[in-house]
Amino acid sequence: MKELLEIGLKLAGFSLVALAIASFWIPKALGWREKLAGLTPLMRELWWTYSAYVWGSHVFFAVLALGHGDWLTGRTGAATAMSVFILLWWSVRLWLQFFGFDLAEVEGSRANRIAKHLLTLLFAGLVVLFGTLVAWNAGWIPEGP
Amino acid sequence: MNTESLVLLLRLAGLMLCGLVAANHVATGRFRYHENLAGCEVMVRQIFHVHCAYIVAIIAGLALLCLGWPRLLLADGMGRVLSAFFALFWTSRVTVQLLYYDRETRRRNRGWDVFFLGVFGVLGLIFTLAALHR
Repeated sequence: MKELLEIGLKLAGFSLVALAIASFWIPKALGWREKLAGLTPLMRELWWTYSAYVWGSHVFFAVLALGHGDWLTGRTGAATAMSVFILLWWSVRLWLQFFGFDLAEVEGSRANRIAKHLLTLLFAGLVVLFGTLVAWNAGWIPEGP
Repeated sequence: MNTESLVLLLRLAGLMLCGLVAANHVATGRFRYHENLAGCEVMVRQIFHVHCAYIVAIIAGLALLCLGWPRLLLADGMGRVLSAFFALFWTSRVTVQLLYYDRETRRRNRGWDVFFLGVFGVLGLIFTLAALHR
């Protein structure tokens, strides 16, 4: 099981790297610059600052998954706490994908539809992976032979 | 710096982070987020609120860690990686405030500007010390 989780973490890590790279394309695809033009300077600055820090957190999760898989699967209290935090992060994001964001204003082009489905798939995969990781770290899944 | 002093500093950081969580709520009213975003498209509003909530979640999670388990941040391996990440997080926040935020808005709120620069600077220093601790 541990080996399987470590493989899952590698896949998650590479997916998060892909997400971090693709994120540079999101502002242009969704026309953020034009849509934010009417805001006060402070609100615009807060917008970009928050976005940058959320992006930084995704990069950090990628570093954790790619470089510290052994620690994340270590069945320690700290590993459980970190897994729970990341599970909550992606669970909320998955919930938002279905029930939170109003995507009616987003252009329904083929590229946008594909991107939306890929994101949904990624978030669902991350929820499954980190949910399993929580169960593993909490000792709910036996180590096996 | 010895471990006990750093544990104390990390607990202090935890208290400062609790203050930052509260300050985020105060900022919502003071800077009229709702009124300012009222004319925007729904998605722009939603993304702003979601990102804001995620940032508050990170700060609250870190506050919990600093207050409850500060020694985890000083442990070899993962502790050091976490501390290094948050050292970068807070140090870069000072840079963002100094170089990116609107000078006029900062001038109009000079007291808060200096206060938050100090808070971010101290947090950056504490997590840098934690990351470098042996």
